[in-house]
Amino acid sequence: MASSVISVQGVTKRYAGHTAVSALSLEVPAGGIFGLLGPNGAGKTTTIRMLLSIITPDEGRVVLFGGAGSGRELSARIGYLPEERGLYPKMRVLDQLAFLGEAKGMSRWDARKRAKVWLERLGLEDWTMRKVSDLSKGMQQKVQFAGALQHDPDLVILDEPFSGLDPVNSQVMRDVVVDVARSGRTVLFSTHIMEHAEKMCSRIAIIARGEKVLDGNLAEVKGQFGKSHVALTFTRNAAAAAGPLADRTLVARVDDYGASAEVQLTAGADPEALLKALLAVDVGLSRFEVVEPSLQSIFIARVGADAAHPAARQEA
Amino acid sequence: MNKVFAVIRREFIERVRTKSFLIGTFLVPLLVAAFGYLPQLLARRDTGSKTIVVLDAASGPIGQVIANRLGADSIGEGEGRQPRFLVVRLPAAGRLEQLRDSVVATIGLQDGPADAADGVLLLTEEAVEGGRITYLGDNAGSFRDMGALERLIGPALREERLQRKQADAAIIAAANVRLDLNSTKVTNGKATGQSGEQTFWLAYIVNLLMYMVLLLYGIQVMSAVIEEKSNRIVEVLVSSMSPFQLLMGKVLGVGASGLLQLAIWGITGFYITATLASGGTSAGGPGIAADGSAASISVPVISPELVAVILAFFLLGFFLYAGLYAAIGAMCNTQQEAQQANTPVTMCIAIAMVAVFALMNDPSSTMARVFSLIPLFAPIVVPVRYAISPLPLTEVLLSVVAMVVGIVGVVWIAARIYRVGILSYGKKPSMKELWRWMRTA
Repeated sequence: MASSVISVQGVTKRYAGHTAVSALSLEVPAGGIFGLLGPNGAGKTTTIRMLLSIITPDEGRVVLFGGAGSGRELSARIGYLPEERGLYPKMRVLDQLAFLGEAKGMSRWDARKRAKVWLERLGLEDWTMRKVSDLSKGMQQKVQFAGALQHDPDLVILDEPFSGLDPVNSQVMRDVVVDVARSGRTVLFSTHIMEHAEKMCSRIAIIARGEKVLDGNLAEVKGQFGKSHVALTFTRNAAAAAGPLADRTLVARVDDYGASAEVQLTAGADPEALLKALLAVDVGLSRFEVVEPSLQSIFIARVGADAAHPAARQEA
Repeated sequence: MNKVFAVIRREFIERVRTKSFLIGTFLVPLLVAAFGYLPQLLARRDTGSKTIVVLDAASGPIGQVIANRLGADSIGEGEGRQPRFLVVRLPAAGRLEQLRDSVVATIGLQDGPADAADGVLLLTEEAVEGGRITYLGDNAGSFRDMGALERLIGPALREERLQRKQADAAIIAAANVRLDLNSTKVTNGKATGQSGEQTFWLAYIVNLLMYMVLLLYGIQVMSAVIEEKSNRIVEVLVSSMSPFQLLMGKVLGVGASGLLQLAIWGITGFYITATLASGGTSAGGPGIAADGSAASISVPVISPELVAVILAFFLLGFFLYAGLYAAIGAMCNTQQEAQQANTPVTMCIAIAMVAVFALMNDPSSTMARVFSLIPLFAPIVVPVRYAISPLPLTEVLLSVVAMVVGIVGVVWIAARIYRVGILSYGKKPSMKELWRWMRTA
């Protein structure tokens, strides 16, 4: 890990009336999957657009691959899947990918060849000569995914890559992302779905209201939150659990999901004391496990109120 | 540069592949040809002889003379030759109104007898003396038939009046020589063999052509910008190339497809006019020729210089308007929104087209010269003026310089609006916001 693939240094971006990103600094090391997490309107997309020099920061700077040029100049080494998906509806699938490849600096012939390989890999080989508008939404997303990856970029930036996908397609894409990372390349993706980040990312950064809340190695981040979390699942009478969970001598904080909950114990509290209290109120406890805090729980603990009131958002 | 070329190629190929391009390219010449032929076809189809009843209430032989002259006129040529009018003369002294009413009652009936009259001519003593003659008929709206009636009856009545004043037969013959104005266009001090009417039609066609192509391809650039913006493809593209490269590629791609279409139109146009010219039709604009015979289309003389001027000003005008339309497209989110927003730009083209009609009468007036130096109007005004009468080279070059300056200015502004606009969604920007867009580096 000689140097960072992405180094964001004190970047600020303002729009009329609000600040989308404020003095943000991030280091993304080479290799692995980096998760950029945050609620809607946190500034994830704005940050990504600045990485790609689609927009320029008002303050600060972005250094890619140790300073070899701007995102646009290095676009041949970067693959990008924007949050808002888009393809030319009337263009044939293969032509479309060939064009996207050319835009990345590939030769037309090369781009067509690589596009075919990717379409086959994603199960779209029978659709190469069809118009994009003939494809289902899921297939179109796969085509665009291929467009972001076909030129073998060293850095892949995906903005909300799994949103709007059915479970099967979502799994296909996740496998591809993991494969890409395994081949030594760097993947950065943004999401507000913590389960995806938890399963895939080696490092994360959480941003809210344009500012960084925390970042680092996923295991370290979890370590900072300690082992004082308990995961619970109730099979009946979940409302009755409210009493024991409200006991501040035992429980510092509850993430209540209805039939299940994740609680953070008060410092020095004994997990068994909580177990006894819950057994006493008869909630049909089917799970009681001392766990690492989940990313979801960390996210809610750190972003919390912010997530409920996202800053007014302006697309740009 | 390869990226710009990729955008050009994509824009060109995807455009040329569409059905609307094929239809537009091959249907337009057909339509133009059809419009040229239509008057001829209609005139030829409408060839049945008309039966006319002459109710003769005038004294003397004039009724018979008119009946004879009407009956002697013919239409068509060769085998298709037939009398224009079948004439029935009825002496009507004293019972004119009664006869008129009974004949009129049979005219224009859907299922009347085949030999029923098409019209009735009321020849009275007042008509001979005062020259006011009444015709009632279902073909009263036919320029051709009415023209023939005037042409045939007028001299006969004039002769009759002269005879009644005991004029000499030689004087009568001399008075009846018809006028035949034969106008010919002079270019650079040389007669061209092109009639004045042809010059008008050539200028007219050049005007419409320039108007159409500027509007057509300008709007295509605007639609292409909005398509990329609303599909959000633009975001992927500007992460790989600069907005200016993208804009450049789009404009050149649309321009290339436009040039191809123009070339196809030009070639078919030349071919069509060439076939018409060799088909032996006489000169004269679509309309009624002096002798009232079937109209034919003119075959204007198109010089290579005119073609060069048309092409040059198409390209200059296209770049200017493509820049404006691209900026409008970048400001809007949907095609519907853009249709309203583009009105000021479209109006400029329309103003130029309309102004040209006023300038045609005097193509070298001060106003014409001024319009030729305004970049927004020059692309239409200069080719039309050139079609009417070739301009001095210096004036054309001056106009080109004005256009180039205009294009540089427009592209500078448009590129700035485009760069910010393609990534801005939501409300259309106000003038103040536009100004801010332009100033952001």
